[in-house]
Amino acid sequence: MRPAPLRPILLPEPPLVESLIEAPAPDSVRDDVKRLRESLKGTAAAKLMNATELLRALEKERRDEQLPTTLDAFDSLLGGGLPRGKMVELTGRRGAGRFSIVLSALAAATSMGEAAVFVDLGDHLDPRTAEEMGVDLQRVLWIRPKTLKQAVMSAEMITATGFQLVVLDAGTYPVRGRRAPEAAWVRLARAAEAHGTAMLISTPYPATGTASEAVIVAQRTRLQWHGRGKSPRLLLGAQTELHLEKHRHRKAGAVTTLALTMEEGRGLRAEGRGETPAPHQSRERVASPSALSPLPSALSS
Amino acid sequence: MTRIACIHVPMFPLAARLRSEPDLLNEAVAIVDGDGGGAHIIAATRRARTKGIGPGMSLAQARSLVPKLIARARDTECERTAQEALVEVAETFSPRVEDAGEGLVFLDVSGLERHFASELDLGKAILRAAEDVGLPARCGLAASKLASRVAAELPKSPTVVEAGTEAEFLAPLPLARLTPELDAASTLNRWGLTSIGDLARLPESEVASRLGHLGRELHYAARGIDPRPLIPRPVPQEFHEGMELEWPLVALDPFLFIASAALDRLAKRMELQGFACRRLELTMTLEPDGFHSRAIDLPAPTRDVKTMLTLLRLDLEKTPPGAPVVGFSLAAHPDRPRRAQLSLFGPAALSPEKLATTIAKLISMLGEDRVGMPMTVDSHLPDRYALGSFEPPPPPDLRRGPRRSHGLLAVRVFRPPIPVEVVTRPSRPDESGDVQIEALRGEGDISGEVRTCAGPWRVQEGWWSATPADRDYWDVELSRGSSYRVYREDAQSEWFVEAAYG
Repeated sequence: MRPAPLRPILLPEPPLVESLIEAPAPDSVRDDVKRLRESLKGTAAAKLMNATELLRALEKERRDEQLPTTLDAFDSLLGGGLPRGKMVELTGRRGAGRFSIVLSALAAATSMGEAAVFVDLGDHLDPRTAEEMGVDLQRVLWIRPKTLKQAVMSAEMITATGFQLVVLDAGTYPVRGRRAPEAAWVRLARAAEAHGTAMLISTPYPATGTASEAVIVAQRTRLQWHGRGKSPRLLLGAQTELHLEKHRHRKAGAVTTLALTMEEGRGLRAEGRGETPAPHQSRERVASPSALSPLPSALSS
Repeated sequence: MTRIACIHVPMFPLAARLRSEPDLLNEAVAIVDGDGGGAHIIAATRRARTKGIGPGMSLAQARSLVPKLIARARDTECERTAQEALVEVAETFSPRVEDAGEGLVFLDVSGLERHFASELDLGKAILRAAEDVGLPARCGLAASKLASRVAAELPKSPTVVEAGTEAEFLAPLPLARLTPELDAASTLNRWGLTSIGDLARLPESEVASRLGHLGRELHYAARGIDPRPLIPRPVPQEFHEGMELEWPLVALDPFLFIASAALDRLAKRMELQGFACRRLELTMTLEPDGFHSRAIDLPAPTRDVKTMLTLLRLDLEKTPPGAPVVGFSLAAHPDRPRRAQLSLFGPAALSPEKLATTIAKLISMLGEDRVGMPMTVDSHLPDRYALGSFEPPPPPDLRRGPRRSHGLLAVRVFRPPIPVEVVTRPSRPDESGDVQIEALRGEGDISGEVRTCAGPWRVQEGWWSATPADRDYWDVELSRGSSYRVYREDAQSEWFVEAAYG
């Protein structure tokens, strides 16, 4: 493509707002604002601020916020969601519901218009499943490292870019690359703090040590099936128990139950009530298997 | 009124060479033109000149004066890129720039008086900009190309010739300044003329009758009249840097050391124009003959030398040129760098340039197929996916709340699917399918008795293609508690675990 015609650079371009955050307002501006404040009274004077102060206030306010995953059972343990600027570790064995929580966090963040990073060490992401769970794929940067060391390095590098949510899923046991040194996790937590990034680390066993703000352990309790006997016809969902094992500012030991369902708008308690859905009716709308086209049992054999 | 600035680089072949090899700046270096016995010196550094070496001297004569003289052949590639850099420096001040070649550039600076306190300041700014790209230049400002060139060639720089005073400015200067390479100069000397003013005082018609059309032009020039207009050059489509090497390079690291300096120069030149590199092309001259070319598409426009160098290294490691390298040329395709304004009330936007650089670094570390935006493909098989370049839409202007999650159970896909041994039993009349799964015999967690099993569901895809998929799927829950999606490949009767629930 032919580049746009050249334009001489005679004057410096106006600075971006992000550079204004770093640079304090000039003395003349500060004096003007001070004089204006003095001329006003009470609350009006307190509300008056220049652009730099406004940006700082907004930045502080943003950092105090939490990024909800909209899974009440998970958010309530953390006091409302993933804290910005902090690292939260979620551990649990295969099938404990970690991946569902990870995708829910991505879905919530991207639905707010935030860009998010998914560092997928196990290469487990199915884009169609993610899309059906509400993840806006256009706002997700998918990184697929080969070892845990690469995963931690990638997460640290990309955090410095300014993403608001970074999720690192270490996959299932055995983790590729086994363990990363604790110093690497500490550095990653500091990067999250420096850039106000909410960071979720999902691992099959405790890994981050003292670096994380909170540790939640997920344990699968049971699956629920539609139908009776040894070979029922449909998987309905699963229940996962979440334990708050550690939190720097909250009392540990809280337990909640997270209900995950295969079908949108259908709770687990629906089993046994009402009419049994035909496989093709329910399976078409489930999150996974994403787009299987089941046939009635008589035809499928 | 038209004001023209001239940027002139004295001893241009030497300046261009020293720009590529700055380590030689304080050495006794001479640039040699010609081969064998006909080799003669065309320019030398100050250290060599103080020892008596000057233009026109043969290489043997120069070596007899300074045995340790570093002689470098004239490098057309270096000179071409240095000239381009000089033109680009001029383009940062004015869009109307004429490339006069050999270290000479004219630019129209009319109207710039509002941006600089004086023309002298403008001249100093031009010299500083030229120094930034490694070229020691001189600058002259006048109302015509001729006067500005003569002013630029003077040792005192920058020199400003006020409008209307061109004739007075030129008058005391020797005739050689006006026509350095003209044969007529010797004729004029024979007439007893020594300065430009002497020529200007002669009657125009008399000079024209003796020297013809050339004489008339010369007389005009002596009076400071130069009717030649400035001819602006077209917009360049790409930036070039490169050099011919003194000896062939075999190892990668020495080559990258030299390429790094060239990339650094490219980045500086693109920065001057407000451009970033979108595509990098490398052409290497090989020994004994032949060329090797390659192109690297950058994930986003960037000027980060480290990133470009890493990508270049990875590409060269993957496909080495296969012969010693004796020269190279780097071409950068320019593009506007991405910019974004942060939002006050919406989510924070990413810095596009920072993002592009980080993605390029990640790609160089992990590989091109491992970083990007996940995309769905037109397939029913979950292990299939596509990867696009990550270009997120701008964030909304106003912050909005998250969309309520459905609390759906997700699956972890295994790429590739894990082969597994399966114990089956024939289905009972009230069960679907021909068999039901009794146990899985796989590695690690994927092993154990099946507590609950559901299926099969058939997926048929691509029956018209060479690799059709014809699969029967089951959901199984093992007695240990983990649950999987298992399928049987119908054609081969092989079983695989495709995904785990959770």
